[in-house]
Amino acid sequence: MIQRHQFPLQEYHPDAPREVQLLSFISQVFIQPFSLEDNLLALLTALTSGSGVGFNRAMLFLVEGRSLRGRLWLGPPTPEEARSIWEVLSTPGIGFVEIVDYNRALLERREGGLSHRIDRLNYGLDETRDIIPSLAARRREILHVRGAADEPLVDGAFRDVIGVEEFLCIPLVSREDVMGEIIVDNAFTGAAIQAPDIRLAGLCGLIAGNYIYTSLLLKKMVDMEKLAALGEVGVFLAHQLRNPLTVIGGFTDQLLGDALSERKKKRNLNIIRKEIKRLEEVINKIGRLSRLGGGPVVPLDLRRMIDGLLALPALGIKARGRRIRFECRPDLPEALGHKLDAAEAVRNVLDNALEAAPWGGEVVIRCAGGPDRTVSVSVTDNGPGIPPGIRDRIFAPFMTTKKKGMGLGLVYVKRVMDIAGGRVEIESREGQGTEVRLIFRTGGQD
Amino acid sequence: MKAKPRILIVEDERTLCLLYREELEKEGYEVTTVLDAASALEALEKSDFDLIVSDIRLPGANGLDFIRSVMERWKTVPVIINTAYESYKQDFATWAADEYVVKSGSLEELKKKIRALLEKRHVAA
Repeated sequence: MIQRHQFPLQEYHPDAPREVQLLSFISQVFIQPFSLEDNLLALLTALTSGSGVGFNRAMLFLVEGRSLRGRLWLGPPTPEEARSIWEVLSTPGIGFVEIVDYNRALLERREGGLSHRIDRLNYGLDETRDIIPSLAARRREILHVRGAADEPLVDGAFRDVIGVEEFLCIPLVSREDVMGEIIVDNAFTGAAIQAPDIRLAGLCGLIAGNYIYTSLLLKKMVDMEKLAALGEVGVFLAHQLRNPLTVIGGFTDQLLGDALSERKKKRNLNIIRKEIKRLEEVINKIGRLSRLGGGPVVPLDLRRMIDGLLALPALGIKARGRRIRFECRPDLPEALGHKLDAAEAVRNVLDNALEAAPWGGEVVIRCAGGPDRTVSVSVTDNGPGIPPGIRDRIFAPFMTTKKKGMGLGLVYVKRVMDIAGGRVEIESREGQGTEVRLIFRTGGQD
Repeated sequence: MKAKPRILIVEDERTLCLLYREELEKEGYEVTTVLDAASALEALEKSDFDLIVSDIRLPGANGLDFIRSVMERWKTVPVIINTAYESYKQDFATWAADEYVVKSGSLEELKKKIRALLEKRHVAA
């Protein structure tokens, strides 16, 4: 028998063991599309809310450079406020999102809020002097402090700020590093911190440490990738957009400033129209690349696809002065791909071949089954070939040898083939020509 | 009457050649436009120019090599690099040029730099 269960995310079980409540709470944190800051706030909430660990206050230090800096301090500023908040938060039906919202409002309150009191607290992690709170982070150990007034290791400024005798320092450790530290206390209830509290708080510390570590790592990776991509796109766009814009700007200025004849006015407008069309083409090509990859792959009849392409009038114009030969095995298996994308990819390769072939030259298209359940379309031209210096960059975006090319054709072809689970192979000999093979998976069974 | 200053434009886009010719002729210059480096060298061999405006990306030649060789052979003729790419500014080879103007929707900067360079040349002569 099989029984289906929902994830217990929105439920609140006051009778469940605290460990379960905490885990449920934290798992809710991670499915919310919150920022790192908000999720850390939620973790502090887990430490202070009744459905979590239930400490009165939680303070967060994060590592910046090589020191611990005070960032957030969550908790009611006065005992009276603590009582009224607990009443609100223990109302049945109050969920995770409400609690985090409530806490965010509490944090944003300048007057009477706690966070500003720890703004200036800053402890170097490389200091030789042992000092609390940073000692816990340096040793990667949970430290339980009682009788803070008489404890010489507790920093005087910190003692003044926290104002309690008993607190718990929990380092936020990840596999590699210390990411920060959380300090919790029971300033209002005065309840002693017990062993189960310490276990639960430690669990929070481990989760938070690894969460911060992975978030920062991910952000770094995304930033680097974005930056690299942005750089390439920037250079490409500069060229693709600045030339038309210079033309449009210049001829528009003439229209605005000079006394032009009717004939010249019309000429300028026609030039501007043409350049606008060029800008549109840039956007269309980029758009086409970004839209790729929707829908499932389907079996494709390559012979019919290529017959269709060869019948296109636009292709006929490109093929002027060149011969096209199409050879296709009669028992050709069906290829797997996205119909329109695959056709567009083949057309791209065919266009390139026709442009490369000299006047009077020939382009040969061959379809044949290959090993390992593949089927290929090969397009060969007898043009000048790809210069050796750029062969290893031919799939790089914005790389082009054509005067008006954008360098996106082969990028598109490769994306289409990758997404369909196929591949592209190119062989080129200078002075003799180029063969491009699109290798598709077939739909056949084993 | 003073002879018109002669400017050579090296630019592979015909529409831009047309625009530059019209706009610079209006400024009182005599303008010759060519579409590639080889034709530019031919033009320079045949007649004297007071200033060269050249793109960097040129068909069939490395524009930077072209500009370098022009500056070596015609040392006194000022060269303005006029390109869509800002990034070439980081290439030392472009530093030798007298000016670097990035293509934009307005020709004012290009015109201003041409005027300034021609004045400087006139004073020096």
